[in-house]
Amino acid sequence: MKKQGIQAFPNYFVGVDSLAQLATRKDRICVLNILGGESRTVTPISHAYSGGNVLFGTSPGRAGQVLETAVGDIPVYNNVREGMEAGHRFNVGVVYLPPAGVRDGVAELIRVNSDLEKVIILTEKVSVHDAREIRALGQQGNVDVFGANCLGIADSWNHVRFGGALGGDKPEETLRKGCIAIYSNSGNFTTTIANYLGLSGWGTTTLVSSGKDVYIHYAPAEWAHGLANDARSKGAVMYVEPGGYYEQDLNLTKPTVACVVGRWKAKLTRAVGHAGAIAGSGDDAAAKEKWCMDQFGVDEIFTPDNPVVSAQGAVVINISHIPAALTEVMALNGVEPDFPPEGNLELKPWFGNNQGIKLPTELDLPIVKALSPYDDQIAAIGKSVGTSYPRQSMKDSSGCSIMDAKTQVTKIFGRSILDLSSLPLESNACMVLLEQDNGPNDNALMNTAIAAYVNMMGDPALAAADAARAAGNAPNSVLAAATSILGPKAVDGARKAADVLIDLFAHLGLMDGTDTKFKLPVIKPTKEQLAALTGESADPKALAMLDAIRKRKASSVFTDFLHGIKGHITADAVLAAITTTIAWSPLMRKRVSRLTVYNLPWYIRCHALMIGVTVPGKEHKKDKFNGIPMKQIMESWTMTELAYLALANEKPTPEILFPFQVLLGLLISNGVGTISAQGAKGGVAADGPESPERVQINKSMVGFLTHTGFAHGGNGYEGIQFLIENFKGRGLDDAANPKHGLDLKQMAEAYATAFGDDKKARKVAGESVRNIPGVNHPVFKGKVVNKDPREVFIDELFKKRNEYNIFHDFYQNVAQALFDAGVTKNVFCVNIDAVIAALLLKLLWPRYISGDYSEASLETAAFTAFLFGRMTGCAGEIDDHMNRGRNMDTRTPASKVSYVS
Amino acid sequence: MQVTGMLYGSKLLKQVGFPSAEVLGSEASDAEIKELIERCGEVFVKPIFKGGVGKKGKAGLLGRAKDMRTALAEKERLYFVEHKHGNATAKANGVTFEGGVPADYEVYFSISDSTRYRAPAITLTHHGGTDIEELPKGKIVEIPFDPLTGLKSFVIANALSDLGAPKEIVSPLVQQLPKLWDLFHLYGMTTLELNPIRMTVSRPGYLSPVACDFKCGFDRDDPRVARANLPDDLFAADHSDFEQEINQLRTYQGQSDVYVINEKGTILAPTFGGGANSLVSEGLGDDAIISSDFGGNPPYAKMREVSRICLKYWLAQSNVLFLIGGKANNTDIYITFRAIADSLREHFSEHGPAPLYVVIGRGGPQVIRGMGYFKDTLDALRLPYRIFGFDSAMTDVVHYAQKADEWMENGGRVEVGKLLGIPADDARVKPRKAKK
Repeated sequence: MKKQGIQAFPNYFVGVDSLAQLATRKDRICVLNILGGESRTVTPISHAYSGGNVLFGTSPGRAGQVLETAVGDIPVYNNVREGMEAGHRFNVGVVYLPPAGVRDGVAELIRVNSDLEKVIILTEKVSVHDAREIRALGQQGNVDVFGANCLGIADSWNHVRFGGALGGDKPEETLRKGCIAIYSNSGNFTTTIANYLGLSGWGTTTLVSSGKDVYIHYAPAEWAHGLANDARSKGAVMYVEPGGYYEQDLNLTKPTVACVVGRWKAKLTRAVGHAGAIAGSGDDAAAKEKWCMDQFGVDEIFTPDNPVVSAQGAVVINISHIPAALTEVMALNGVEPDFPPEGNLELKPWFGNNQGIKLPTELDLPIVKALSPYDDQIAAIGKSVGTSYPRQSMKDSSGCSIMDAKTQVTKIFGRSILDLSSLPLESNACMVLLEQDNGPNDNALMNTAIAAYVNMMGDPALAAADAARAAGNAPNSVLAAATSILGPKAVDGARKAADVLIDLFAHLGLMDGTDTKFKLPVIKPTKEQLAALTGESADPKALAMLDAIRKRKASSVFTDFLHGIKGHITADAVLAAITTTIAWSPLMRKRVSRLTVYNLPWYIRCHALMIGVTVPGKEHKKDKFNGIPMKQIMESWTMTELAYLALANEKPTPEILFPFQVLLGLLISNGVGTISAQGAKGGVAADGPESPERVQINKSMVGFLTHTGFAHGGNGYEGIQFLIENFKGRGLDDAANPKHGLDLKQMAEAYATAFGDDKKARKVAGESVRNIPGVNHPVFKGKVVNKDPREVFIDELFKKRNEYNIFHDFYQNVAQALFDAGVTKNVFCVNIDAVIAALLLKLLWPRYISGDYSEASLETAAFTAFLFGRMTGCAGEIDDHMNRGRNMDTRTPASKVSYVS
Repeated sequence: MQVTGMLYGSKLLKQVGFPSAEVLGSEASDAEIKELIERCGEVFVKPIFKGGVGKKGKAGLLGRAKDMRTALAEKERLYFVEHKHGNATAKANGVTFEGGVPADYEVYFSISDSTRYRAPAITLTHHGGTDIEELPKGKIVEIPFDPLTGLKSFVIANALSDLGAPKEIVSPLVQQLPKLWDLFHLYGMTTLELNPIRMTVSRPGYLSPVACDFKCGFDRDDPRVARANLPDDLFAADHSDFEQEINQLRTYQGQSDVYVINEKGTILAPTFGGGANSLVSEGLGDDAIISSDFGGNPPYAKMREVSRICLKYWLAQSNVLFLIGGKANNTDIYITFRAIADSLREHFSEHGPAPLYVVIGRGGPQVIRGMGYFKDTLDALRLPYRIFGFDSAMTDVVHYAQKADEWMENGGRVEVGKLLGIPADDARVKPRKAKK
């Protein structure tokens, strides 16, 4: 049977006679697209606040799932019909569908459910086309429609809200029971006005967020009628924006304050935000002010200085003036506020800092204690150390690295790896975790830490590496075998010590861990804290580290603190003091999380281990590492030098050190999509980053290592092989000497001709054409002359330093010669792999030609160099994923995988 | 998103088979123009303005030619002519040549959505060709109709009866005008206006309506607009580079509406929510650079990108970064503030520090975490700031931001710059603000 509308509206259908009927405890709801992003957050809160009024939701293809809420799960069906077939009977439909689906959703609700009375549409940006059809559908089906682009309805008396988030995530805080009804074009202002009223002692009855699209389906005329029939509502507030004739000739029978804003908007030629808030000639803000003033019998706008009101109402143009105007209007009607005022709207800065600048008095407002419970939250924030991140799926996402698809240049925390390649490995190893470069002091500390742990004599990890090496494994497997052994127990001491140091120093105002002149109060560690920093007997490694730090003239508030402790400081404590010093500034500035700083010793140990076990076990001796006295290593060697020592068995000269450092820098990361990064992230996801204490960092590093191989990481050797083929037997002594005496052009032309002939022959034979390692790139192609910007950067960098590399030069000649010989249709680029091969071969060339270094050794060195660079980048990915990721978030859904027969 | 004039109007009308005057664009050859004059007796030369330019102020911007010489002279006069109405100035870029249509009757017809009826409505009169606002009641009608059945012939017939229209125009209009509903409804329009439709003799004893001017507005939230196949750059003049860049991020999830109010303003105020936008635009007036609504719980990545673009375009000239909104219902303040703070940090690290005072007022879910994050960022960047709770009147926070702007303008920039290591000459503000 067709529902009857109320008689007051003979020309169109209106079903609701009183505001008290708008949102009641009897209403039962079906939510369309209940599992959509917005509904997922809002519906559980509304459902719990309203005593569980949502019967079911729909989400095509997700039948059987539920939306969890504090008062029980809400079932989900494919469509409305299925929900009704399951026995659910509802009278309110709430629409969270995307804009294109809204009209059809409303049609579904109306056609399928004859009991339907109200529809609330939350979706923004519903087209006018659909809105006009929705209006007609509602009228045809005798259903009241609210929205679109609204935040629904709430009733502070009934403790009900549906279709939206009025009152935010804590509705009871704003939706206070009282005698004022609110109607607002702005969803946000519906809540804000209720909040303002509450501070002045006014509670609310029913709050309607109407939306401000061109079509407003529940308009002020219907609302004014409902207001008149609602005995609970003694007065009202109406918030109005320009556009539309909805407020003209209203029949308001209860005292009302109308807030009309948007005079200024007359200057705009198109809507911003609210699609309907753009006026024609007769429906602008000025016209609306006039309509309302006529309605209330006032001739001026109310302001605190000019409080023009009547018993019928007042017009304000400033939302902050609503409470004062309302109080005056209601007083003329003999109505007192619902409860004592709970505050005022004076300026109350909750946070502020002049940064030492003397501000004028009017700006220098003192910080005010926030109202409860926000004061406690602010206090808690003051106590919290470091930042925290919201958790999300981090599959193929990274907060650490991003490769620009256009330039192929990867950035780490916004810094190009090209720039980072000018920094030493020890700085980059910290940067990927702490988002800032090391200064010389930090580097000195970091180098001490690495130096202290590279010598692994007697460590089972070293034995594992030797065994893996002896079994013929590639360097990644050798390092993986050893890294597996560096489990949580091995680093717990250092992590606990770091925790203690953070607890002891976090709230003392110390902002820089190297600021040894900072005036600290007397710090008294508890017994338990002391136990985490000291051991029963003297720890020679700790003493050596402290001594080395002194020799390197590095300063640290934390090592100074350790010096002052009576007892035997452990090496774990010194390592923690080192890492905490380096991390202190970003931790205090909340650039990094406490979790990162807690785990920093583990990352450092992993790095030291990988460098260490690259050197065969027999070279780890009590006082020597790979032939170098430990004392010397502890006191002066850098991480970059140690990496080179492990790789090439010699101390790098300054001429070697810089290119080597550049080489490692270029290898840090190629973005989160690389197999190595995916391996590292998979390691974290599988352990479950939502319980970060269970994530095994060493295992995730193993994930990185096992996700490298002869094709990824080991392929750097192909470029070296190519160069060796071309330079073998040509008498080249010094790859750095530009007067090498070789005719590179002629060599390149010969190669190009031979390659061209080979290419032709292969084509004739139907074989695939082989690529030249280091030449061409899928992105940097198609121009007359192609350049890989990374190669250009490195080329210029070394030219500026007057450092010559014959291999790089040769590569450039080859690219040109291939074109000149007609083998390529344009000048192919020399890519970054060529640069890496040229850099490494230049470093090792003297050893190679002396016979000291076999081609196999070169291959191992190339692969290992890749691992040394990438281990730092992957540490960054592991830490990022641990901080932000969700459990098992790297998996691929079954719907996206395929079977191949 | 408006289209005015017959150049594109006739193409759109052709989609639904509604007759329109013959039209040639600026690229028309002399021979084509000559042929058109010969065929139609005369041509009207009209400047082409991109976007919406109303009738008002267009006096003198219409050329009429019965010979080639006059037509070309009018072309030269109108090709780059400027149209001024109120504060808005539009510059023409090209002209159209529209064939004259002899007629005894000029009809005005429009379709739009009426907020009085909450339905689509036609406005119709056979006293067209003039400003219809000046017509007395009885000579013009506004008739709503049901969008589900559409604009049917009987609606037109009833309207013409109400108007007492001459009988010779009734039948052709009843046959032809309903076609315009398809154009209006199926191509995502919000208004469609033909003024005039000239009733010309198409065959002896039979009149046919010919559209001689065209104006329509499109709904930018309606994907049906793409069906019209209009060139992308047609609406580009509506937007500054900044607006266009922001608009590329426009999706239904989280609004990203912006409007450049005053490109010489000094307060950069991204606002959240349509209400806050109205209030802040009102309060800041010409101090504000942009008017915006970034509410609706935008995802982190989108908010960060929006913020990055805002900073890229406007930070250098801004005295105050002002983030303001009411007590949010559903917008996660932590996510939006983190995104803005991160982009501010990134901007500083890429472009170096800039003297800035930051004022924030906001409430809603996760507000303290969001404020805390911003506080830490600002402390790290060493920028002075005040962050107000949602129990501070928004308008007072607006006034506070204006006071901060004034202080920055009068020496504050140099002081903040000194703190950040920026030489005074670089920190000092150049005179930019438009005099109010």
